[in-house]
Amino acid sequence: MSGYTEGIIILLCINGIAAMGVSLLTGFTGIFSLGHAAYMALGAYTTAILTVQHEVHWLPAILLGGLLAVAVAFFIGVPTLKLMGDYYAIASIGLGEAIRLILENWQSVTRGARGYPGIDPYTTLPVVAAFFLVLAIFMFNLINSRFGRACKACRDDHVASSLLGFNTARVRVLSLMISAFYCGVAGALLGGFLSFIQPIMFDMLKSTELTAVVVFGGLGSMSGSLLGTAVITLITELFRPISQYRMLIYGAVLVIIMVLRPEGIMGNREFISWVRAPFRRKAS
Amino acid sequence: MATLIQQIINGLSLGSVYALIAVGYSLVYSILLFSNFAHGGFLVIGGYFCYGSLRLLGAGIWTAGALALIGAGFAAVLTERLAYRPIRERTNVTLYLLIASMGMNIVIENIFVIIVGGRFRALPPVIPTTPVSVMGLATTSAFDLISLLSAVVFLGALQLFLSKTRWGLAIRAAAYDLRTAGLMGVNVNLLISIVFFVAGFLAAVGGIFLSVRYTLYPQLGAITIKAFVAAVIGGLGSLPGAVIGSLILGLAEMLTAGFISSQMRDLVVFSLLVITLLVKPTGLFGKSVSEKV
Repeated sequence: MSGYTEGIIILLCINGIAAMGVSLLTGFTGIFSLGHAAYMALGAYTTAILTVQHEVHWLPAILLGGLLAVAVAFFIGVPTLKLMGDYYAIASIGLGEAIRLILENWQSVTRGARGYPGIDPYTTLPVVAAFFLVLAIFMFNLINSRFGRACKACRDDHVASSLLGFNTARVRVLSLMISAFYCGVAGALLGGFLSFIQPIMFDMLKSTELTAVVVFGGLGSMSGSLLGTAVITLITELFRPISQYRMLIYGAVLVIIMVLRPEGIMGNREFISWVRAPFRRKAS
Repeated sequence: MATLIQQIINGLSLGSVYALIAVGYSLVYSILLFSNFAHGGFLVIGGYFCYGSLRLLGAGIWTAGALALIGAGFAAVLTERLAYRPIRERTNVTLYLLIASMGMNIVIENIFVIIVGGRFRALPPVIPTTPVSVMGLATTSAFDLISLLSAVVFLGALQLFLSKTRWGLAIRAAAYDLRTAGLMGVNVNLLISIVFFVAGFLAAVGGIFLSVRYTLYPQLGAITIKAFVAAVIGGLGSLPGAVIGSLILGLAEMLTAGFISSQMRDLVVFSLLVITLLVKPTGLFGKSVSEKV
């Protein structure tokens, strides 16, 4: 396998992990985030600092990066997720920008806007594939668990689900924390893949992209989110020659999908049921 | 002391520009209950319309300004027609509107990147920036006073429009309950178009002042994030809240820049946001959140 192909596969896995996290939050719990790149940044910087300056092994460092993202998500989520509406979306913009600014200005720890070089290239294909598989198995089980159904209930009708006895605020915060963990791990793996990170890599455009791939794939479909992120990652590679128009096309695609097919590529169905559906229809 | 007064005037001036943007954003939020992220695009459209008519048509500032405001207003109506109305008619999921508005923001920004390029452009010196003495206490730029004054004029006009006219009454009714307003015979589609026109119009005023203060470039719309923050601090959907929040934000930003460090100003803005959300998530003038479950 050539280095380029391997690089793309690693990137696909990393983006897939982040997409699964955002999918749980946006697609399954119905909370919109515009700052998930901040959790990636937290994961990436924690892991980079731990491995480079404190010589911690990369595996606990990655997990600690994810856990720091979880802690931050908890403190942001508890006050804002009690409220319905766009409060978390706005708070997440603030969070995303604030974390990026702290990373840029805290020179002594993060080396500022010039970036953090010299991270061990611990993200090899087997490592990233293992992370992806473990996290994917966990996520696909989670969305069909009691917790996953609680998330969907909160998304579809939060009043009814709270009357049914779900602690909606708690479900929403938990969902945010899990998604922050996935993004933190994805960020940590991205740092190991590029061996260089910079605060500007985790700006609002990245956050938008994280949410956009989930919408593109289909809200409420985990396999759709993975498909969406794969398509967008590959299209980004294809459109490199006409990079000037890339963002225009990307924005227009977002609008067109929302107008024509707001449910995304897969709707809210999973890949398995989508394959089986035609046969089922014939049988009935 | 002179520096303090000067920074307070600067802060009020910047805050009043934020207020123009935040009020339009809040108005749309109060009717359709979604964060219109394309609002920054309207501001950029206004800025470029003004720039274009000044440079290409050789118009004076009054004509250029009027063209910019009306142009941005119609661009906002067009955005609503093309992107939001089809979604609005099909579903009441505000998430889809939110994502479409993000898409529109990217589209508008990149249309300008492609057509006029990403270069920073300075508006011709149409608004005087000569130093003015304020009651002998401090010197400030005439531009700051003009932007403060224009904001007061436009916000006052908006207040009159909302409180004295029939459409203003309809908009207030729709902010209370859009469906019921529709049932009572208000033409909802026309009403939403009017709201978007007003939002685009006011955003363009902000856009012109911002492009004089800083420069004009396609990503200038990103500054609306601060107007969103101001709207949240004041209480989402509340117009007086949006104005007060904007003034607080402008003052905080300028006082930080003047007395601590200009690198910290954005950090202070977002800390204010986080503190507001932690302490009083509904903001200073937020409607009591009955939907809290």
